[in-house]
Amino acid sequence: MTLKNLATPKNIIGIIAIIAFVVIVPQVVQGFAMTIINVALLFAIISYGVSIMLGMGGQLSFAAVTFMGFGAYFIANMSTGRLGFVIPTFLALLLTPIVFAGVAFLIGLVLLKLKGTYFTFSTIALVQVAFTYFNNFQPLFGGPDGISGIPTLTIGSYSFGNDLTAWFYLICVFVIIGGIIVERIRRSQLGRSLASIRDNETAALTLGVNTYLTKVIAFSIAGAFAAFAGALWVMHGRFVGAEMFNFLNATQFIIMAMIGGVNSTVGIVIGALLVRGLPEFFRGFQGYMNLFWGVSIILLMVFMPTGLAGIKDVIVDKFRQFRVKSRKGDDDDATNTKA
Amino acid sequence: MQPILRLEGVNKSFGGVTAAKDVSFSVPPGEVQGLIGPNGAGKSTLMNIISGIYTPDSGKVFLEEKDITKVAAYTRARMGIGRTFQTPRFMQRSSIRDNLLLGTDLADQIGYLKGFFGKKGKPFDEELEELMEVAKFTFRWTDKIDSLPFGQRKLLEIVRSMLGHPKVMLVDEPAAGLNHKEIEHAMDLLNMAAKQRGIGVLLIEHSMDMIMDMCSNIVVINFGEVIGQGSPEEVSSNKAVIDAYLGGDLDD
Ligand SMILES: Nc1ncnc2c1ncn2[C@@H]1O[C@H](COP(=O)(O)OP(=O)(O)OP(=O)(O)O)[C@@H](O)[C@H]1O
Ligand SMILES: [Mg+2]
Repeated sequence: MTLKNLATPKNIIGIIAIIAFVVIVPQVVQGFAMTIINVALLFAIISYGVSIMLGMGGQLSFAAVTFMGFGAYFIANMSTGRLGFVIPTFLALLLTPIVFAGVAFLIGLVLLKLKGTYFTFSTIALVQVAFTYFNNFQPLFGGPDGISGIPTLTIGSYSFGNDLTAWFYLICVFVIIGGIIVERIRRSQLGRSLASIRDNETAALTLGVNTYLTKVIAFSIAGAFAAFAGALWVMHGRFVGAEMFNFLNATQFIIMAMIGGVNSTVGIVIGALLVRGLPEFFRGFQGYMNLFWGVSIILLMVFMPTGLAGIKDVIVDKFRQFRVKSRKGDDDDATNTKA
Repeated sequence: MQPILRLEGVNKSFGGVTAAKDVSFSVPPGEVQGLIGPNGAGKSTLMNIISGIYTPDSGKVFLEEKDITKVAAYTRARMGIGRTFQTPRFMQRSSIRDNLLLGTDLADQIGYLKGFFGKKGKPFDEELEELMEVAKFTFRWTDKIDSLPFGQRKLLEIVRSMLGHPKVMLVDEPAAGLNHKEIEHAMDLLNMAAKQRGIGVLLIEHSMDMIMDMCSNIVVINFGEVIGQGSPEEVSSNKAVIDAYLGGDLDD
């Protein structure tokens, strides 16, 4: 892709919007609200994985929350010295996506032997089993008390500590890098192969797509995203407990992606900010939040399957239909004269 | 000439239905070979067996005399077996361009990692323009697949298959649902595939005009069994074939 291709009005507006977001948010937000935004952005990185699996490949997996847990506990074990050794936080952070891409690949090889709904159920089983271990297996996961006193991220001599604004910038960098990776996948052979699996697995096979391996690769990438975000999340919050990784929270990432639009990278970030942010504005209605999301998802699936990002498409489509209608007369004439 | 594709004693049944019974025939390169028979005779089943979607109960499939009976469908595609479907199958939500790129991906075989890091295959614009010219295709590449009329989609599926540079092309009823012009374009494309590119084309078609016009050799099946085989003249004077079509006029 050349620079000229990138300089479309749409891209320029997008880049300005991103810069504005990164610059303005720290000016107007502090304290607890900043924590919420940081966590929301970390969750957006996890939802990128949902975009690759569900949006591109049509595979519904709930496993993201478990891989987030893997990443978080990995850092907790590597950096606190509770296993008898310590790895520098930055090195541990860089290792996380590599290690758990591998782990996800192996798990994916097993789970993706199943297809469609059966695969989805197997990921739910994975979430439940992992949760039980997180909650009970003392040596690695600290049991019901979790693991606290996790050191913050240190790069060289710079320590992020409790500086929420510094964390915000760092997380934004990873949200943007993650977004670029997702967009590149979408436009490369892997993205097309996934889309062909989503729309017609038989046709995909006859076009030379190794459907099984391709799904395993997507699962592995999604696992790496989730583990990496989990690693950042635990160094940001300094504590990890099992409740975060239960099934209810597993649905969150699907909801974020669906509200924003599973195939829209920017939409996912907006979806994550909404899903994490709205409940804080309506603190008095906490108990109704799950009901609210449940109903929203049903309404979205029925009326707007492509999420918030779909509003734009709907408008563009209406406009195009109008244009095609007004052009149709000419086309018919053209075929008549040829015949 | 050595056949490019060969079936040897292929059997397949679904429950009580025999869809293929001891089927043997071969497809030479550079020719359009007809495969005809009444509805439900087992034509599409044979295509699914050749492309690896179905496994035969017994019998063998050879590509360039190599036994591929146990080879996975996606590997067969990479080895050079291309096909279209009776109802076209596309990525409905993607653009024409992306759908066609799936065809070139197959020919290029770059791999996901190199593709991710920006390695490009051969530029496909030139080849595509050549094919689009033959197909008399007038749509923009950025249009969504589902905005295309049915006939154009069927033509596009042939184009996609040709972009994959197959050795054998299995084409399932390309003329069904097409208007006169489009049928001509489909025939041009298939003739180009066979004559210019040396692809062995196996053509299933109910339109006898098209079969008689294009095929040097025709295989006729009924209830899963080969009941006749030969040149158009031989086949249309074959008694078993005429009976199978209930005396219907084959030249029609
Ligand atoms: N997957 C399947 N499961 C069960 N029966 C099948 C399956 N595929 C094909 N059949 C049966 O096998 C027989 C042959 O079907 P096939 O689709 O190959 O016929 P065809 O010659 O392509 O017919 P048409 O001209 O109508 O397309 C039919 O009786 C059909 O019902
Ligand atoms: Mg058929």
